[in-house]
Amino acid sequence: MTRRVRIGCCALALCLACAVPAAAQSLTQRGFVDVGLALFPQAAPGDRTQATLDVLVREELFARPRRWLQVAGGVEVRGNTHAQVERVWRLDLGDRRERRPMLGVRRLTATVTRGPLTIDVGKQFIRWGKADIVTPTDHFAPRDFLTVIDAGFLAVPAARIVAQQGAETLDVVWQPRFTPSRLPLVDQRWTVRPTGSDGLRLLPSALALPTRDQVGARWSHTGDGYEFSVSGFDGINHLPNLVAVRAATVRDLLLLRDYPRVRSFGADAARPTRWFTLKGEAAVFRARDSNADDYVLYVVQVERQTGEWLLLGGYAGEVVTRRRVPTPFAPDRGLTRAVVARASYTVDSNRSVTLESAVRQNGHGVYVKGEYSQARGARWRATVSGVVLAGRSDDFLGQYRRNSNLTLSLRYSF
Amino acid sequence: MSDVKIVRVPLASTPRRAGVWLVVCALLSSLAPHVRAADNARQIVEESQQRTQAVSQRYEGVLQVFDAKGKVSDKRWLLERLGSHGTSRMVLRFTQPAEVKGVALLVVNHQDRASDQWMWTPAIERDRRIALQDRSTRFFGTDFSFEDLEERDVDQYDYALLGDDSLDGVAMWKIQSTPRQGKSSQYTTSTVWIRKDNYACARIENLVKDQVVRRLNYLDIQNVQGIWTAKQLEMTDVKRNSRTRLTLDKLQYNVPMKEDDFTLQAIRRQ
Repeated sequence: MTRRVRIGCCALALCLACAVPAAAQSLTQRGFVDVGLALFPQAAPGDRTQATLDVLVREELFARPRRWLQVAGGVEVRGNTHAQVERVWRLDLGDRRERRPMLGVRRLTATVTRGPLTIDVGKQFIRWGKADIVTPTDHFAPRDFLTVIDAGFLAVPAARIVAQQGAETLDVVWQPRFTPSRLPLVDQRWTVRPTGSDGLRLLPSALALPTRDQVGARWSHTGDGYEFSVSGFDGINHLPNLVAVRAATVRDLLLLRDYPRVRSFGADAARPTRWFTLKGEAAVFRARDSNADDYVLYVVQVERQTGEWLLLGGYAGEVVTRRRVPTPFAPDRGLTRAVVARASYTVDSNRSVTLESAVRQNGHGVYVKGEYSQARGARWRATVSGVVLAGRSDDFLGQYRRNSNLTLSLRYSF
Repeated sequence: MSDVKIVRVPLASTPRRAGVWLVVCALLSSLAPHVRAADNARQIVEESQQRTQAVSQRYEGVLQVFDAKGKVSDKRWLLERLGSHGTSRMVLRFTQPAEVKGVALLVVNHQDRASDQWMWTPAIERDRRIALQDRSTRFFGTDFSFEDLEERDVDQYDYALLGDDSLDGVAMWKIQSTPRQGKSSQYTTSTVWIRKDNYACARIENLVKDQVVRRLNYLDIQNVQGIWTAKQLEMTDVKRNSRTRLTLDKLQYNVPMKEDDFTLQAIRRQ
């Protein structure tokens, strides 16, 4: 971690520490302890583990020492039975390592508000776009793909200025330090071995991350009954290209990660009609070097909330305008050329059921997830979910067909 | 048919003024038949709205949801409102239970059309616009729908006086309100009961076609800073046979607030 970033984080932490006692009237917190058990009926090549247990403790504090200043901080403590969490006790600020940190800073942000301006500085979550399952314009939102289909977001160190005047909003982001999406571990079931690699040991290459900064801007208009945004991004794709090369030792295969420079322009819009809300989002990705594809991602979806049902359905598409790379790790692109749908039903104030699915248009990959969740009292919630993955081995979804699973989680919120 | 003037009186804040107030209320009650004769339902609603005008409002809402089996689940929110009725902006933020803490709803009311509403969900760090056709949905498992959280403005409805009535021995005007074109509503009509003694709203029954679907009772009406306010609201979903009781705690009017705190940017600040 660079000295500059360390100093910045320490300053923010100090600010938070000072703000907490000063803002007794405007201090809020939220947190939870979550224990999750994942069961896999099938063993996968190179990973015989069929049950994993996760523990996550999260605590977030929000203080408002002055009317114009808010400070937010959050930490996480994690444990896992399948070596997905580092076994080192140190405070991780960057969230850029292969494994999840045992003790990590989830967010650390100072927010200054002055009239129409809002300035956020620090490690923060930035979400762009309006679509729900695939979001092509969500450039500052790397994710934790350790288990691919259940990917949480990672905060990024950035400075963000938002100016809002009436119906117009301009959002400018500068991210000085790159945060990659976290990839599946090479010796675990969510990494699919390259063809012809039987008998070889798959090894990750030393992680060399790009050092350049990233910038993006988004202009949004909120009209009477519709809203739209246009955005631009110049930076690095947080999803890498993967290249397998023979290592010096004959029996090893080295998996190289290359994060391509990209420039992207996109737009998103939402328009409620009499029967449903129509949402669309699209982005053009242009590689700055010759190491990545040029492509367009787009999503068209409709959603409707009726009674206790929330229904969502749509199509995610991809047009590759110039293909250069055979094997990018790209879950966003992997969910395209697919019909996506989600339905959730609120049984009562404590119980809900959700079903979501993605089916590739050629039928080569299917993902279906069902979830039932029930709260008990004000603090406890139990969730059981089942995921079915099926398809052909050359399809992004189909390649995980041995990873269908059942998960049980119990959460205590405080 | 002579028009009856609605007499606007200073609100009771001292025992002596309270006495005067009671006399005036009695006078108003005696005038009620003439009001009906004049069929001036709109004037009554206008007066009722006028009396609840405030620069701002803040309260902590305690929500108790009772399902058909009598099970209770509790929620709490903090509500801040800037302005009144057709021009107000409101932010509602859940403070309990822990798992929904931080979820916020921004409502921007308009005089000439339905409100704009956005919901902020901290778990996914995103806001979502609540579309008009989605407003009949229950709000977070309560018996209030998103539309019920809008502030009603007198100009958005047409009115007809249905007659006199009494609730718990208190004399009321019973008024039918029908949404005007441009005010998109899940309800075909609403029947509103307004107290004759202080013009406070006592009950609203919302109908789809001829069926009552939701009933909102205004209970424990108190004078707070000169405004007759129900400290408890009970919404019943007639179809589901469930009800939600909202108790207004730490209610204050005319608290200093800034417009900047009622924007989409503001609701994403926790």
